[in-house]
Parts: sequence; structure tokens; C-alpha cells
Amino acid sequence: MNRIARLTLFAVSMLVLTAATIVVATHMPTFGSHPLPYGDAVNSLVPPARHISNMVSAVNFDVRGLDTLGEEFMLVCAVTGTVVLLRGTRGEQLTSRPAGMHGRLNAPRSDAQVLTGRLLGPLILLFGLYVVVHATVTPGGGFQGGVIIGSGLLLLYLCEEYRTWRWFMRSRWLNACEGGGALVFVLAGLAPMCQGAHFLQNVMPLGEFRDLLSGGLMQIVNAGVACAVLGGFALVFLEFLEETREPRDEA
Amino acid sequence: MIALLPWLVAAWLLGIGLYGIVTSRNYIHLIGCLNVVQSATYVILLCVGYRWNAGPPIFDPHPPGTPAVDPVVQALVLTDIVIGATVAALLLALAVQLHKRKGTLDPEALRPMR
Repeated sequence: MNRIARLTLFAVSMLVLTAATIVVATHMPTFGSHPLPYGDAVNSLVPPARHISNMVSAVNFDVRGLDTLGEEFMLVCAVTGTVVLLRGTRGEQLTSRPAGMHGRLNAPRSDAQVLTGRLLGPLILLFGLYVVVHATVTPGGGFQGGVIIGSGLLLLYLCEEYRTWRWFMRSRWLNACEGGGALVFVLAGLAPMCQGAHFLQNVMPLGEFRDLLSGGLMQIVNAGVACAVLGGFALVFLEFLEETREPRDEA
Repeated sequence: MIALLPWLVAAWLLGIGLYGIVTSRNYIHLIGCLNVVQSATYVILLCVGYRWNAGPPIFDPHPPGTPAVDPVVQALVLTDIVIGATVAALLLALAVQLHKRKGTLDPEALRPMR
């Protein structure tokens, strides 16, 4: 299809879409003042039933836990696909001491850069852990915290250099983190069934309201999600950085 | 008008994202446009669950029972963002392989696979 035909088709479909949007938008329930039956049910039932104050985590890890399990596997699939595509023929072999790349300087980092990285790194890691463990109390959880820790690892590449990054990032550990997180989630779902309860039924002690350890089974599910997200993001970063190097450049 | 604004913003994001995809001459740009289209769903979901004069659905300073917005859609958006980021990584990996094989990232320079 040539460019003009495609733009004409796009313009016609946009006209239809605009008309449809105006009709739908004017018939939507009033913004901000319509009933929210499911949200209200969660907001009123979950704090006494599960002793936790973060309703978003409650929905993710308990009320809709089975859905989140599906999303967890989507995450694992997407990361696996990315890793397989980027590894290509290189395979799983990764030397821990990569040689320099031909024609590309392995620029040494300046002292200021290294210092900033070493000051910021532990703080970002600590903040990520803080967000992970506060899943049931304040805005936090495995998804957000895992992304913070995973991205924080990139500081190693930015502020140290490629060799240190590769020395530190062992793909085997990351694989275990990624797959193990999903496995923990599944086992947390299956374990209650050994007691005769339902899949993912919250059979653990629920703890005190607004306590760090409240929520029972949600804590385990949350830890599994954090591991899987952290491992997945770090693996993706590792493979993308690896992509700039050809197999023959590795000593 | 303010009642219409959220839906129009979402429709606008969908529209410009689709326009970018249709006219794109570079796969990296196309993946960015796809993410713009996806962010329309975030706007829709968050606005569907919004309620005037209500707090966040996290009862930390305020006690349970005070008016709060819908946590169900917020949980959907949360997982949506994480999955969206990894799917974008998958698409970027496809773009890297494409550039290796064909030496171009222009969708119009490529013929369908047989």
C-alpha cells in the first residue's frame, strides 16, 4: 500500500473514530461522580478482612491474585522472548572478563562519576527495598520496587564501567531470580490447597492493621513478584548492553 | 466540558499514537508511538475510577471508610505499565535483529516475509 492510500485510509478511519468518540464521551457516566461498586466493595471489605491498608496491593495480590499470576507469566514470556532474540547465536556463554570492543574505547569513568554512583547506588537500592516491603501499608509493592532496584543496577554501568557491570551481573543469578519469583508465586497459590483451602486463599496469620508484616500470604506473593520483576528488568538491561558486543570480541 | 475532558484526552492520545504508527519511517519511533497508544488506556482506566473529593485507596493517614477512589482500576494500570515496559523491550529486541539482518529500520523499505 503506498503512502497516499494509507494516509487516506487513516483519515477516513479517524473521521469515523472521532464521531464515535464524541458519541461515547457524551454518554459516559458523569466524570468523578458515578457509582464505583467494585472499588467501594474492596475499600469497605478488605481492611477488616485482610488487615492491610493498601487497597491496590490487596487487589493485585489477593482479590485478583489469579489475574496477577497471568500477568506475571506474561512478564516472564516477554523477558524470555527479548533474551532469546538478543542472544541469538551467541548462546548462554558469557565470560566474566570481556575484552574491549574493536574500534570502541572503553572510556574510563571520571572520579566524580564514580563517587556519585557509589553514593547514589546504595540509596536507590535501599529505597527499592523500602518500596517492596511496604506493599501492604503505604504506596508500594513488588512491581514498583522491583523496577526501582532493577533500574538502579544500571548505575553500575553508568558510574563504574562495562567490566564491573559484567563482573557483577551474573546472568545465571538473574535467571534464577526471574524464574524463581514466578515459581514462588505459583507455590504460594498451591500451598493453601495442601491444607484443603482454595488456590491463593489467604490462610496465613493476617497480622496487625498498618503493620509491616500484615496481609498474610500477600507478603510471599509480593516478594515473588519483586524477584521476578527485578530479575526480568536486569536481564533485559544485561542483554541489551551485551548486544553492542560481537562474540569475537570476547576473550 | 470538564466532564468530557478525560475521555477526549484519551481519544487524543490514541489518535496521535495511531497517526505516528501509520506515518512512521523508523521502527524505534513506531514502538514509541505504540507506547503513546497504550498510555491512552492508562488515562481511561484512571479516569473511570476517579471520584471528586476522595482520597487515595491507601488508608494510611486516613481511616478506612473515608471516601476513596477505585483501587481496582489502579491495580490494572500498575500491572499494565510493567507489562508494557517489557513488551516494549521485546519489540526493541526485534528491531535490533531486524537492523542486523536487513540493515534498515524503515517499515516501508521492507517486504512481507514469505
